[in-house]
Amino acid sequence: MKRSITESLVANTESLEWECRRCQHTLGPVAENYKKGCLIAQRDPKEIWEPLIEGVLNFSYDATWSRIVEFYCPGCGALLEVEMLPPGHPLTHDIELDLTMFTDENSADRSSKDSAQ
Amino acid sequence: MSLDQTSLDGPEIPEYMRVRPIEISTATMVQWLKPEPVGEAERSWVEQLEPGDYEIYDEKLKNILDEAREIFVRSGVTNLLTAGDLIVAIYTANGDLANASAGTYLHCVTGCLPVKYVMHKYYSDPTVRVEAGDIFYTNEARYGGIHNPDQMAFMPVFHEGELIAWTAALAHQPETGAIEPGGMPILARSRSDEGMKLTPIKIGQDYRIKRDLLDMMVNFIDRSPRMQEIDTRARVTGADRLRVRVQELAVAKGNDFVRGLLRKLVLEAEESARRRIARWNDGTYRAVAFADTIGREPALVRGMLTATKRHDSIHMDFSGTSPENDSSYNAFPHIVAAHAAIFLFAYPFHDLPASNGTLAPFEWDIPEGSVLNAAPNAAISNSPPLCCIVMTSVTLALSKMMFDSEDRDKIGAPNGNMGSEIIFSGTSQHEMPYADLDGCTLNTEGQGARPDMDGVNAYGFPWAHAGRAPDAEFYEDEYPFLRLFYHLRRDSGGFGKWQGGLGTETAIAPRHVPTMFWSSIGKSTHISVASGLFGGYPSSASPGIWVSGTDLWEKMNRGDQDLPEDAVSVAADRALQGEYLLEHLTRLTRIGYSGDLIVQLAAGGGGYGDVLERDPDLVLNDLKNGQISSWTAKEVYQIRYEEDSLILDETATEETRDSARQTRLKRGKPWDEFISEWSKLSPNPEALKYFGTWPEGVAETPVVRI
Ligand SMILES: [Zn+2]
Repeated sequence: MKRSITESLVANTESLEWECRRCQHTLGPVAENYKKGCLIAQRDPKEIWEPLIEGVLNFSYDATWSRIVEFYCPGCGALLEVEMLPPGHPLTHDIELDLTMFTDENSADRSSKDSAQ
Repeated sequence: MSLDQTSLDGPEIPEYMRVRPIEISTATMVQWLKPEPVGEAERSWVEQLEPGDYEIYDEKLKNILDEAREIFVRSGVTNLLTAGDLIVAIYTANGDLANASAGTYLHCVTGCLPVKYVMHKYYSDPTVRVEAGDIFYTNEARYGGIHNPDQMAFMPVFHEGELIAWTAALAHQPETGAIEPGGMPILARSRSDEGMKLTPIKIGQDYRIKRDLLDMMVNFIDRSPRMQEIDTRARVTGADRLRVRVQELAVAKGNDFVRGLLRKLVLEAEESARRRIARWNDGTYRAVAFADTIGREPALVRGMLTATKRHDSIHMDFSGTSPENDSSYNAFPHIVAAHAAIFLFAYPFHDLPASNGTLAPFEWDIPEGSVLNAAPNAAISNSPPLCCIVMTSVTLALSKMMFDSEDRDKIGAPNGNMGSEIIFSGTSQHEMPYADLDGCTLNTEGQGARPDMDGVNAYGFPWAHAGRAPDAEFYEDEYPFLRLFYHLRRDSGGFGKWQGGLGTETAIAPRHVPTMFWSSIGKSTHISVASGLFGGYPSSASPGIWVSGTDLWEKMNRGDQDLPEDAVSVAADRALQGEYLLEHLTRLTRIGYSGDLIVQLAAGGGGYGDVLERDPDLVLNDLKNGQISSWTAKEVYQIRYEEDSLILDETATEETRDSARQTRLKRGKPWDEFISEWSKLSPNPEALKYFGTWPEGVAETPVVRI
């Protein structure tokens, strides 16, 4: 079974691998940070917001304060996640699923949990 | 530090009125957010409710609350009433919030705590006591408030000699008698710089406000005495209208019915919230958010959240958050919970009672010494602007937790979360002293994009979603300035498959008077606090612009046609003579002279999803409407179109987007390679002055406050 964990990421509950929703490329074990399976780039904010005047404050961001870090699917180049971080700031391990729910789910019906509300 | 260890709860207090004792300190007040245990009597009142009673009278209470809110708004003068920075609320006899009309959900957290404090500390104290007709009042964060501009009136509701409930009305008021005008002094370094702070006190008896205590407050609020007098009365009027209606309900249905109904609301809120949380995926969800100011100077401040969800409860751990500092950008744990509530009550639990029961599934772990759990003598008047880092990190972590559930429609990228406002004071053209803020930018930030739609442009005030911008021209009547422009700001929403809503921009110029004191609050000048979600980009940069010594009046008198119409043209075309200053959006109090131009920007919301997945027709629409530039359409969204007709070239767009994906694959590096290069970088040292060690954020020097 495949579960959409984010807009762009699927967790395959049988292979226990992350997959790109767009091209099904695998991004490593669900037990790991999916970002480890991505291609990663850091970009000067001026590539996203056009500087409109001269000077440091130019309606874009100052690259000495912040960068755009992009996480791509190596299979299709989809942009899976973006972080705006100060240069060199550790990347965020944002999603760490409790995998017992997949093992439970492989036997149990999830709808009993869903019907509670 | 413990402010007060005494507890006077004695056997004479019936169980349903008791508040469990906690250590009273800034670090521990958040514990009173948990609902009080339900005793036998209360349980039986809940059980005595007939089928249908809860549904009918829950609705009746909502109507009562809405009525009181309307009366409150119409009775007061502060602009923040129009903006919706208020709450009217009904509590159980021991201070649990049954429901509220908000306004701002902040006070769903903070309103409970002073009520519990009074019950805990003063109910049995013969020098205070709680009696029918009493009026209590407070604005002190140490006793459960957020910051002292938020003043709250609260009243016990008695019927047939029994205490059955409490009611409250609270609104932000932009003056506190601090070292600077406006109620949120940027230069405050300790609590002693922040003006009037009233612990919960009784300001009225027999349903009348005591003149001596009102005079005391008015005396404190010397820059805006009229506002203090009128708005104190407005708060009491709001609380009292609720008191009357709850009493009427008791007359009609009996005390046990009212007490059972109020408790059932708290219990139902908790049960419903837990049922909903149980259907989200268990796991650990992390988010980081950055502010770029501590008010008096630009500085990087990090908020870090690890939200661990197990079955029906969520542990919110803010370890890794920046250390406290000697500015007014600090907070206490209950203030953090209050800022989480802004998201929780508006998105995942929007249909549940605005009760502290709804928040019972959450545990709060906020390290002492961090900027979110500062020492009791810290200045905290700018805790709301600081807590944008809480609003953003909670929105991100919970949205990731909820996506794979039937509650996907209740998530979104963070809202603008910048809190942009110009604060002004002086003597007006009507020769009245004034101190107020411009609600125009404050109430028109962009909403974060959602899984199936763009964020709403100028959606509101992220601290009080329902907030409305006041009439832009109201200010010109009341205060001495002209508003040159006020409209949506192009390219301000975060780009993505779904685009963040746009924020606005405005420019004002002092007029009719020689001078006006002004300052401004804002952020996202150097790093955005409105992050994107699932591949969406954050909101755009927001500099502050000030042009002094202009020829604005001469140009207007001549009828010149080249007056600037937006922030970019002010800075780029420089049609006005004068000295131009581009700076951080948070600006210290200064003197503005007649004709100076003050430009203030509001932030857009975060974007959602990959920009290359955005429907090209939507991109073209945005271009036609002026919401994005042609540069953005081509360089970010990668669409191709006929320049004159703005007709889409589908084939070229598809090719361009495919090639943009190939460029990403060439640009991107595998994890290890990326990390080895990336981790060698560090930010501008100017950014790290208050950050602690890089990148851990551990305090290097103790904070000294005088
Ligand atoms: Zn892919």
